[in-house]
Amino acid sequence: MLTLALALLALQAPSDALEAIRARGAFTWGADEEGGGPYLFPDPAEPSRRIGFEVELADALALELTRELGAPIAAQFAQGPWDKLPDLLKTGRIDLVLNGYEWTPERARDMAATLPYYVFELQLLTRADAAGASWEWLASAPPKQVGVLGGSSAESYLAQRCPTLELVSYDGNTNAMGDVVSGRLDATLQDLPIALFYRAEFPELAFTGAPVAPGRYVIYVRRGEQRLHTALDRALLALRTEGTLRAIDERYGIWTAAQENTEYLSLPAASDEAAVEAGFFARYGVPLLESAGMTVLLSLLSFPLAILLGLGIALGRLYGPRLVAWPLTLYVEVLRGTPLMLQLFVLFYVLPNAGLELPALGAAVLGLAVNYSAYEAEIYRAGLQAVPVGQMEAALVLGMSRRLALRRVVVPQAVRIVVPAVTNDFIALFKDTSVCSVITVVELTKRYNIAAMTHPSDVLPLAAMAAVLYLVMSYPLSLLSARLERALRA
Amino acid sequence: MIRVQELTKSYGAHAVLRGVTLEVARGELAVVIGASGSGKSTFLRCLNGLERLDGGAIEIAGTTLVPGLAPEEEERRANALRQEVGMVFQQFHLFPHMSALANIVEAPVHVAGVSPAEARERALHLLERFGLAAKARSRPDQLSGGEQQRVAIARALAMQPTVMLFDEPTSALDPRRAGEILRILDALADDGLTMVVVTHSMGFARKAADRVHVFHEGRVIESGPPEEVLVNPREAATRELLELG
Repeated sequence: MLTLALALLALQAPSDALEAIRARGAFTWGADEEGGGPYLFPDPAEPSRRIGFEVELADALALELTRELGAPIAAQFAQGPWDKLPDLLKTGRIDLVLNGYEWTPERARDMAATLPYYVFELQLLTRADAAGASWEWLASAPPKQVGVLGGSSAESYLAQRCPTLELVSYDGNTNAMGDVVSGRLDATLQDLPIALFYRAEFPELAFTGAPVAPGRYVIYVRRGEQRLHTALDRALLALRTEGTLRAIDERYGIWTAAQENTEYLSLPAASDEAAVEAGFFARYGVPLLESAGMTVLLSLLSFPLAILLGLGIALGRLYGPRLVAWPLTLYVEVLRGTPLMLQLFVLFYVLPNAGLELPALGAAVLGLAVNYSAYEAEIYRAGLQAVPVGQMEAALVLGMSRRLALRRVVVPQAVRIVVPAVTNDFIALFKDTSVCSVITVVELTKRYNIAAMTHPSDVLPLAAMAAVLYLVMSYPLSLLSARLERALRA
Repeated sequence: MIRVQELTKSYGAHAVLRGVTLEVARGELAVVIGASGSGKSTFLRCLNGLERLDGGAIEIAGTTLVPGLAPEEEERRANALRQEVGMVFQQFHLFPHMSALANIVEAPVHVAGVSPAEARERALHLLERFGLAAKARSRPDQLSGGEQQRVAIARALAMQPTVMLFDEPTSALDPRRAGEILRILDALADDGLTMVVVTHSMGFARKAADRVHVFHEGRVIESGPPEEVLVNPREAATRELLELG
């Protein structure tokens, strides 16, 4: 038995990554193209081509490895969602994570970090016409609204330094900048390379105060890949000494004085390991529970709205004049045929251009309700058509108007028919609330993602906890609907 | 009470009614017989506006239906005549989500504006008259076919119509239950209600009808008292119908 297990282990144990890279003639680096400039983005002149300072760094590293191994090595890009790159690394799908990943003690415990390739700082951005904007102004009353990338170093920095702020968590960088310009936010705290890169595109924004909180962008490899780790460190050192790193940074306008701050060109001592952290539940339990509350709130507010809208639409399509039925058909087809995420995006980021500004929670509830109303409408349409024609006729010959006949006779019967399908949709909506994170509403899934990203070694217990929370919330729903079905059938 | 002139009705190219002319006097019990597909059910549905007429005219309980009315006007007239004309279907069409009592109370309360208490009292009275006092709380699916049809008749009567239309009220029932229903119709006729009954039951026609109208291929080919039409029919089609019955 033991020998079998050992044999299996030997089969599974990855052979040395550097050897594998030499054999393949390429290493695979994981990054997320969605993150945008200056890291990695489609070439505006030729969108099928990727450019960015990390693309050039990967190519320069390939060149160094070619020299070191004496065999041609190419840099192969692999697309992955930014927050899932460590998981891709651990499963062996990529050889390294190279995508604006900061060195943190938590990550360094989970993966092996190379020498830094860039020293980033955080830059506060405010509207250029906001008089007296400064870090002091930011901390003063009334509480300011500041946009940050969810789970980023900017978020934790602000949470510690200015606890009075109202932090709004974004999925991308430029959305937060746009919302400062539009006035939805007071400020945003961005990684300096991003602020520099997009400076020309957002002339309405001003750099406020000096950059703060320097940190290191490092490459992460799997723990135990000592040879690859050493080879990358040596290559990075060579690129820095030769001036290649500086030349790349300058091409993208992101070279700063901090790049010569020797304190940040090496990694901190491993003593951080000793930092005692609070218990697991104290750290994650409360925030996860809070965001579970948001999940429930979104579901309970949006679904009744979706049902009402859907019923109205179904009645209009079936019994309304053609002038009403036709636009409703279009409504249903458009909303079913486009992704919820896109619809939320339009509600939150595009409508303000037309003068209609909704708060994030309002946009999320409205978006979910409108999207699900299309599905509800189709369910109700089927339910209404399943009621025998004789029921409508029997009501009409008693002297009822069509409207009264629908209300008293046809709709109550249709409702009984559709209960199982509607409950099913409610549970689907319940889980779809996670999409609302694209418009800064932090619910359970988003909170889990943020926690899992900042504390990668706790991923398993975190995932288990999130899953249990979802189950604890959705199971009573199933029970409730089963009771409802029985009550209506009786 | 009812006057129908040259009524025509087609479904696409298929002419179902080819010029029906017929009169029913106040308090009369008219029985309509005819082979399947002769147009008798369509005729009955035209009488209370469930079908739109293509040609001719219907005058019933003070309302006139003619073709080519604007949809709102047509709706208004149909609704007006339905206040006076009740209808009972072959398949009962009780509201399955309501008790027998609630089925009967529904229209008086929500259409005629009768107070719930009074409507309830009237409904219980009707149920008792039809031997269903114990079934007031039952749902339609807990009732037998005969019981369901009795509730359906009570439901129509609760609106206190002056005319009642019956569309093959016994065809979905076994002979014993059918007999019960026909006895009820007989009793209603004695109360002076104007009634049009579409049926296959020649026995009922013979015994209860004031006048019998024979439908054949979308026309009334013969009308008259039962002892005339059913004993000495003029038309070959009527004879054929009687032999089959």
